[in-house]
Amino acid sequence: MGDTLITVIAIGLAAVLMFVFPLMTMSDRTDDVSQLTVATATTEFVDDVRTTGKLTMDKYSKFVENISSTGNSYDVEMELQVLDENPGKKTTQAESTKIGENVYYTMYTSQILETLESGTLALKEGDIFSANVKNTNTTLSQQLKNFLYSVTGNDTYTIAAEHAGIVTANGTGN
Amino acid sequence: MLILGNQIKTLNLQISYDTKLNNATYDALKAFQLNTINSDTSDLANSKLRDIEASANTFFNSVASNFNMAGYNQDILKEYVPALVYTMYDGYYIYSPYTNTLDDTNSNEVIINETTGETDQQSDAEILNEGNTDATYKEGDKISGLKPYIYYSCRYQRGTDDFVITYSLDNYITIQGTINGQWVYDYGYLLDNINITTSGSSVSYRYRGIPILNEETSEYVYDPDRDEIVNYQYIKINGVKYYKYENENDATNNGKWFSILNGTKYWQGQFDDTNSAAIKYYQEAYDFTQKIKNKTYIDSNGVTQNDGYGLTDLTGANAVDEDGNRLEELDENGNRTGIPKLGNYPIFDFGDTNSPDGSIEDQDSNFNQQRLAVIRYSIEKNLSIAIANYNNYSGVTANFQMPELKEDEWEKILNNVSIISFLQGLNIGGKVYNGYSIITNNKNEEVVSEDSIYIVTNDNQYHKANDNDLVGNTNINKGILNIDFERKSNTNSNGITRYFYPQENLGCYTSIVSQTNVNSTDNMYEYIASNGGTLAQVYFTALGRERYSMYKTNNNSDELKVKFGYIP
Repeated sequence: MGDTLITVIAIGLAAVLMFVFPLMTMSDRTDDVSQLTVATATTEFVDDVRTTGKLTMDKYSKFVENISSTGNSYDVEMELQVLDENPGKKTTQAESTKIGENVYYTMYTSQILETLESGTLALKEGDIFSANVKNTNTTLSQQLKNFLYSVTGNDTYTIAAEHAGIVTANGTGN
Repeated sequence: MLILGNQIKTLNLQISYDTKLNNATYDALKAFQLNTINSDTSDLANSKLRDIEASANTFFNSVASNFNMAGYNQDILKEYVPALVYTMYDGYYIYSPYTNTLDDTNSNEVIINETTGETDQQSDAEILNEGNTDATYKEGDKISGLKPYIYYSCRYQRGTDDFVITYSLDNYITIQGTINGQWVYDYGYLLDNINITTSGSSVSYRYRGIPILNEETSEYVYDPDRDEIVNYQYIKINGVKYYKYENENDATNNGKWFSILNGTKYWQGQFDDTNSAAIKYYQEAYDFTQKIKNKTYIDSNGVTQNDGYGLTDLTGANAVDEDGNRLEELDENGNRTGIPKLGNYPIFDFGDTNSPDGSIEDQDSNFNQQRLAVIRYSIEKNLSIAIANYNNYSGVTANFQMPELKEDEWEKILNNVSIISFLQGLNIGGKVYNGYSIITNNKNEEVVSEDSIYIVTNDNQYHKANDNDLVGNTNINKGILNIDFERKSNTNSNGITRYFYPQENLGCYTSIVSQTNVNSTDNMYEYIASNGGTLAQVYFTALGRERYSMYKTNNNSDELKVKFGYIP
């Protein structure tokens, strides 16, 4: 009787050790690779926008396609800070010893996408562009972890990437 | 699993290096831009060198501070930068290490005895090595610095003609060599679609049917003597602005012209009040274009001339290298294939807007194609040599090779002032980093592109020329070069620095600040001409004025001043 119980426990333990743990480590590595893909794609996307000064629907879709190829779904947040030199110009003109100030106004994802639907979004030198990516689905490794110990909360992403930088070229010539 | 983890680390490091390199290159370009805009002499060769040296230093400083996290300092990183390239208006500089060589010959030596005319028979190297160990430069020193300026030039041979054409970032060319048995040194803009009509004593110039007019130009400038920012009338000749002093309290100087150099006012003679640079641009472009077209031509004054070159049958197949061998494509074994490297089409395909090939100034003209091919060939050749040679200088045991640049990257380089930086040989675990960065920018004194002209409207705003708001707008005032809207600084002799905007208008929100309302045209000339009206007149006048006024190495300032009615 006691032997049978131990055997059952041993089989269960062996199953966990032989199958679940390797599976967990493997799925963890898959997430690492996804993480790398997403980080690379995000950096490349932002740097491309930064150095060309142009954001098109084509570029954006390609980027989304690239990150989706990891098999997860993502939430992409973009932010464009547009440099408004005019306020600085007004103050410096009045007081010629003042060095000036930079004022930015910001466009967020939905506004950016709205502009993209009707054509190219041209950025100018001095603007700041950033993209932030998080996974929205539960990856296999998250599911397995939840099975063993549950992680709660709304923002339980494991794959995330962020990149930002100053725009270096004007999207419409000068 | 361990391998995978390492690879992830390597790739992450690679992307972070790419970004750092981009940022450092941008810092270098920004430094160059600020220096050229704020310096009065930025277009003169030696001060341009100074600006570029400063920009290169900025690059190395920025690379050092960006990479500090990884434990590298500036001196070590210099070992990994085989070359920095600065592409300019009509040529480019390569910043890389070289061996300092002193003159080893005994000819042309210094006279040491005035009466007998006896010369020192020692070479420079021997003189310097003679016990003078404190000399800054030594024979065989390895120094990093700018190598001599390389022009975007190509040699052509056709029959007995043998000459070099130097291209630029726009349609300005220089020709040097023998054409039709004559030694030629000539330069100018190539432009189609110019009409000159004379009625009585008045001559009118039209470009694409748009009349070009004389104008009066004025801007704000810091007057160091008055310590005030004043709006003066000005004209710009060969990159230098001359202002007309107006001050009723100063009767002796009122009405005199002056220029400003390093915060000091220099009085000049008198100039014409009207700025006729735009008309001169179109007139001289007309004459030069006629010269290239035909051996015998009628110039802008209606006089028949015989000193033309007649180069319309010149093709890319006439291009030869410095030894006189035809430039040909090589196959993978390095053998000549007989296919001309620079194409086999006529280079100067003149035409007007109605001709099927379009005009020579259009982006898709044969001339432009040849121009881009020559610039690319020249940069590729010299840069790969510079990078390959770096193996002799670097203490790093990496094999430095020029990376293959992508087509869209060439596109950026060929049409803009740019900085290309290379960073190679850093160990990023498992592989060696081999990266480059290209940052381009036309907001500087170097070049006046079709996009560089902004339009000022009467409501005190400036717009891009292709702003949709300008179509049919009746409030258009004038065309201004984009850098005149940038803030400038000037320091007077008391050390007081003042900041000012030469043009104090505000940027239009839909075309300058956010650029949401601009027409995405490929051919600015055609777009502007088709809109016509004041916009076209103001735009073509400003484009001509700014191109004529910019600094060029071929220009002779004294001759140009006379053209603007200069009386010393």
